Amino acid sequence: MAEMWISMGPQHPMTHGLWTLKVKIDGETVVDTEPDLGYIHRGVEKICEARDFTQITTYCDRLCYASANTWSHAYIYAAEDLLGVEVPERAEYIRMVAVELQRIASHLMWLGAYCPDVGNLTGMVWCLREREMMMDLLQELGGSRLHYNFPRVGGVKRDLPIGFAMRCRAKLKLFLDRIQEYEAILDESTIFLIRTQGVGYAKAEDMVNHGVTGVNVRAAGHNYDVRWAHPYSIYDELDWTVAVERPSIKGSDCYDRYRVRVEEMRNSAMMVLEGLDKMPGGAETNHPSGDPAIIAKAPARAPEGQTGFHHFEDSRGESMFYLVGGGEGRGKHPYRVSIRSPMFITIPYAAKCMIGYKIADIPAIMGSFDPCIGETDR
Amino acid sequence: MAKEVSAQQTADAAEAIVAATNEKFGDAAVAEVANHTGGRRKNAYVFITVEADRWHDLAAWLAKSQGVDHCSMITGIHWPEKAEATWQIVAHLMRMGVCNPKRIEGRTHETEVDISNLSGANVPMEFEISMSLPATREPSVPSVADIWVGAEWNEKETWDLVGIDFEGHVGMRRVLLPHDTPTGYHPLQKQHRLRYHDFNEMYDDPQGFGRKPDDVGKVK
Repeated sequence: MAEMWISMGPQHPMTHGLWTLKVKIDGETVVDTEPDLGYIHRGVEKICEARDFTQITTYCDRLCYASANTWSHAYIYAAEDLLGVEVPERAEYIRMVAVELQRIASHLMWLGAYCPDVGNLTGMVWCLREREMMMDLLQELGGSRLHYNFPRVGGVKRDLPIGFAMRCRAKLKLFLDRIQEYEAILDESTIFLIRTQGVGYAKAEDMVNHGVTGVNVRAAGHNYDVRWAHPYSIYDELDWTVAVERPSIKGSDCYDRYRVRVEEMRNSAMMVLEGLDKMPGGAETNHPSGDPAIIAKAPARAPEGQTGFHHFEDSRGESMFYLVGGGEGRGKHPYRVSIRSPMFITIPYAAKCMIGYKIADIPAIMGSFDPCIGETDR
Repeated sequence: MAKEVSAQQTADAAEAIVAATNEKFGDAAVAEVANHTGGRRKNAYVFITVEADRWHDLAAWLAKSQGVDHCSMITGIHWPEKAEATWQIVAHLMRMGVCNPKRIEGRTHETEVDISNLSGANVPMEFEISMSLPATREPSVPSVADIWVGAEWNEKETWDLVGIDFEGHVGMRRVLLPHDTPTGYHPLQKQHRLRYHDFNEMYDDPQGFGRKPDDVGKVK
């Protein structure tokens, strides 16, 4: 049969955002793919060159609409590396709580979007129900529902509100029970298993060489997590486990990538519970904004020649900011901001991963890598 | 059992890599141990300044003998005021350190190895590699996409936004900007300015078509 190119996207249920996947097909079989990105390129890196270090946080929140908190934290750690700021321990605990809650919310958003991709609509409404709980908690911290703008250079915007720890514990305990419900409906759903198992095999060595990181590579059995390899924040003080799958000899399939995310949600919930218990000063204490217990003073300017970078475990992989000091206003702005987006690297790999499978498998494979176009296009 | 890599392990591994690099490359690649300045741990990492034409040699050697298996990011910086180093290319590499989990029953495992005993090429490491090019209209460095495929899209992006070309890169094209962007328009070069700086070219002509004549002679 004659081969032909078809365009999936820019508006297609498979894409989870605005981009095009050009697929070369032979009958029903995919023989070549070519991703086409950049539809929502906003020039965040250029815009940041004209903003001071506090203002940039707001833009970093907008990088990913499903995982805003992890992105603003990724920037903040790089900015602290550039400016040489040491953060109070309590602030690090609060940040860890915020980031892990966001990671749960992001994975729930992924699972909620993935279930209808593979024909399970119930999964979507259940996941979004629990995501509401996480967003309520994050709203208590940051004040808004989607873009929290929560961390500050040197600490956090606000301390934990009164009663937050109690509500957080209650909701996470409920959530830990509900994870078992997802496993019950998905692991025993024939259609879910048929569409995810044995589809989209990816090997760990290939993934690492292609620059794929985070949950996707842990699904393939490669136990790599920035949180233990280059510990930042207070992850070295918590007792936690990395979620790693045991894939088959052919590599990890879509089902492994679903399993590892469910497992990671469970681990993140445990980390938040542990962090609330261990928090210095107690989780029920509430310091006023600007208190030295939650925010340290940070210089506003970075001289030329100073650089800072930080690898950060985002919900989708390893994100990184590279900042160069000495921009406009005698160093008040960064001279250059460079962003490593995990999905920008993963999408080309995911597209290669589809070669050899059927057209009907494309949504299952693409969805299992959790694409987010906001951070991809920046 | 410690589940995290300690600061001492990282510092020891960094020193070993620095010594090996300096011995192998001499003046062509000057390596040093650098430390993060923010945060609680102040981890060590390896900082290497390399001559641009030796970049591919260094990358191949790092991948082969130092176990650097992951290219995190390659990016470019435009310094129009520095005649000797107008174009800076910065590469961030990672050594992930191999630690596959045990094949035991159950889905989540403890890590197979005791991380507090990791040594040699098993310790994860961050690398920052910097190289500079003098003022030229066609800045170009060797591509490392043949060593780490992950570098391919980073290099595409660097050419697209900063205008630094990579020799040996197959299929260089626009990734983030529209495909019909005028040749020679690379927005992260410093002659393009934002309205915030009292310029408005970005907003008056977002596609950049009318800008084409102005660019002649200014950029590559």
